[in-house]
Amino acid sequence: MKKNLFIHLLPILFFAEVCYSYVEIDTKAPDFTLSNSSGEEISLSEFSGKKIIIEWTNHGCPFVAKHYKTGNMQSTQQFSEEINAVWLSIISSAPGTQGYVTPLEANELTLTRSASPSHVLLDSDGTVGKMYEAKTTPHMYIIDEEGILKYQGAIDDAGGRGFMFKDLLKAKNYIKNGLLELNKGDEITSPITKPYGCSVKYAS
Amino acid sequence: MLSSQSIHADSQFQESNSTISLITESLTVTENDELLVGIKFELEEGWHTYWENPGDAGEGASVDWSLSDGFEASEILWPGPHRIPVEPLMTFGYNDEVVLLTKISSLKNASFPLNIKANVGWYTCKDICIPQEGEVSLVINKGDILLTKDSEEIYEYLNTVPVDFEQLYRIERLDDKFFLQTDIGEGKHYQDVYFFPKAYGLTAYSDDQNYEKNLNSFILEINASKAQLNFDAFEGVIEASNNEETSYFNISYPLEVEKAENNQSIILLLLFAFIGGLILNIMPCVFPILSIKILRFMDHSENSSTKTYKFGLYYSFGVILSFLVIALVLLLLKSSGESIGWGFQLQYPIVISVLFYLFIALGFMFMSNLVFGGQLGQLSSVARVNNESLESFLTGILAVVVASPCTAPFMGSAIGFALLQPGINSIFIFLSLGIGFALPYFILSVKPSLLAFLPKPGAWMETFKQFMAFPMWGSALWLLWVLSGQVDSDTVVMVLIGGLFISLALWLLEKNTSEIKWVKWLVRLVALAFVIFSVLIIPTSYSEKDTQSQEELVYSEVLLEQYRNSQDIIFLNFTADWCITCKVNERVALKTRAVKDIIKQKNIKYLEADWTRKDGDIAQKLEEFGRTGVPLYLLYPSRGEPIILPEILTEDTLVRYLTEIN
Repeated sequence: MKKNLFIHLLPILFFAEVCYSYVEIDTKAPDFTLSNSSGEEISLSEFSGKKIIIEWTNHGCPFVAKHYKTGNMQSTQQFSEEINAVWLSIISSAPGTQGYVTPLEANELTLTRSASPSHVLLDSDGTVGKMYEAKTTPHMYIIDEEGILKYQGAIDDAGGRGFMFKDLLKAKNYIKNGLLELNKGDEITSPITKPYGCSVKYAS
Repeated sequence: MLSSQSIHADSQFQESNSTISLITESLTVTENDELLVGIKFELEEGWHTYWENPGDAGEGASVDWSLSDGFEASEILWPGPHRIPVEPLMTFGYNDEVVLLTKISSLKNASFPLNIKANVGWYTCKDICIPQEGEVSLVINKGDILLTKDSEEIYEYLNTVPVDFEQLYRIERLDDKFFLQTDIGEGKHYQDVYFFPKAYGLTAYSDDQNYEKNLNSFILEINASKAQLNFDAFEGVIEASNNEETSYFNISYPLEVEKAENNQSIILLLLFAFIGGLILNIMPCVFPILSIKILRFMDHSENSSTKTYKFGLYYSFGVILSFLVIALVLLLLKSSGESIGWGFQLQYPIVISVLFYLFIALGFMFMSNLVFGGQLGQLSSVARVNNESLESFLTGILAVVVASPCTAPFMGSAIGFALLQPGINSIFIFLSLGIGFALPYFILSVKPSLLAFLPKPGAWMETFKQFMAFPMWGSALWLLWVLSGQVDSDTVVMVLIGGLFISLALWLLEKNTSEIKWVKWLVRLVALAFVIFSVLIIPTSYSEKDTQSQEELVYSEVLLEQYRNSQDIIFLNFTADWCITCKVNERVALKTRAVKDIIKQKNIKYLEADWTRKDGDIAQKLEEFGRTGVPLYLLYPSRGEPIILPEILTEDTLVRYLTEIN
């Protein structure tokens, strides 16, 4: 038997309250504060009014390495810079695991790879990674000017078997396409895609 | 190792912790035949490589074959995978060793010797992942199949390649969970069953799956993925294991696609809606209102043949506007995620009660001489409006309101379908319904002479008007019956008392002919108080416990005996709150409308034996039927032995059993 409308609505309201951390497309992206590689405290909320791209990264992961070696990640970063978006690279590797870096090493990586993130954020206890349910490196998110999550998933469609043989510069770049669509005032065609790469090295 | 080249890697991530080799079932093959070959991965202890769907991270191996002319390689035949958790993530793959098989077919024009070269890319992972690449090759000569010593290993792995699941099974999606239910017969016993999805975005990889074994069926509860992508089918592999072996089966079950099939032409739908609107005019809810309204034309046409069409126009405007408002409200509710169909308004006791009062009051007005501002049975008169155009407009709205309970049973599915259409289409469908509904009245208003076949106005009109109270009250009765399915009998009586007070209030108003002003107002005040009282006692929610105790009786041996003696048909449901199969069966079959209706209709006694807490009597009864657990469904014919129903119920099978039993 069908219940009253309000009986339906109530648990939804409570659920929304309890599960504040669950990221869902077209809902508010949860706020967080992390230290960047220069030791400053950076909050997501301070970039409201701008588009934000979040990249989960781990320089030791061969998937990430390929994206940087081929210049694919850097070109995506430059693209976002040109449209005045903010790029946050987050490292959630726990100390002692692959990809964990000190702030100094993080800056050095940015320099040697000619990367141009707005900030590299250090999340060694994995709090923000788990909040966003980041599963892989790379795992990408796009947040719009109002702080609404618009995309989560892979950087491009090169995932799947045989990734290492693929030419990334020929792949369909979901981030560039998504930003273009948002700029035109459209919705992103596929707001959720399967992220691919290495597992995020959370503390176990 | 028969023939394999050592791996050469050009990747800087290469480490020497895995070896691949190319193995074959035979070193010879003829034309028009098939040959099984495999890439064997030997990983250092503790390392793994991935399945075709790697889970949360990683990637399965890829093989690029180059073969001599006249030979073709199949897709990789992936052996059943294992769970490899990487907290908090879950990946699917193979630990330590695996052989990925491929079938090579030789065509008629095959050119020998066959040179097989395989370029393999794969990941060897532990806590970190290493991409690796290597090439292995083999020469196969022409000749009959001659098994090599590797063939044993090849067949061993071939046995773990999933085969199609032969048993009947179904996937039910309830809220955020998928339920895989299957009848496997009494022979098989699996200690554990696990589902590996084929693709991302179907099920939640890292959540535990809940396996429940019944006597001859099992059910697997799988959480849906939070990131939901649209799939036509629920596809993947189940791993079913018992002490002796682990078997793998392919599962593919069509999922209901949420989008409505748009194959029905919109023109046809509009036509149906229009005809539906016409038919509504003669429904018992509506006909009295309109027929009495039409009698007024006769008065008008008597006096002067003027502007009756104006009333028709205002009336039509009221009808169509009301339908548009309904369409907009429904669309709004739909977009807010409420799953609704037409008739949803009758799911709220408060709506039914208010409609009940309205029908009682309208019937009373027809029956009595209650006159407000001159005419009968018009909302406008209640509102004391003298402007006849506005009155006609309000009559239109009233007609739609009183029509609404009548539309539900007859037009529910049609309007439900209209709602599945894109927004603008469903608005047009409602519009068409409104036009159909308003048309007969409008035509008569333009040409009252069409009513010439009716007798001259006179005393018969009063008799007719009074008679029309009965279809009104009949409709009220029907509403009460609907209400009785939603609330307990005490609440139904409360609504009846409300009806009594509404009638009393109307009677007071009718008899309120006092010349003294304050007496007149006092009586009106009392009448108003009665109406307010009636409204206050309207139930606002279901009284569900009562409904349940009316529909399902708690099992006891004594009660069962009693019904058996009086030769009733009995449905006995052994259930428990912790029994997933029971709960799924209840939601998809037992508690559906169709089943409830047939139980009611055939007066089948529905007994429920709740085994949530251990109960000696119930256990004993289960034992009688050789059971040690629930679910167990027994259907007792009026005479003779009970039938044991299947553990997996569908609405269709249950309805069939209930229809056939005597």
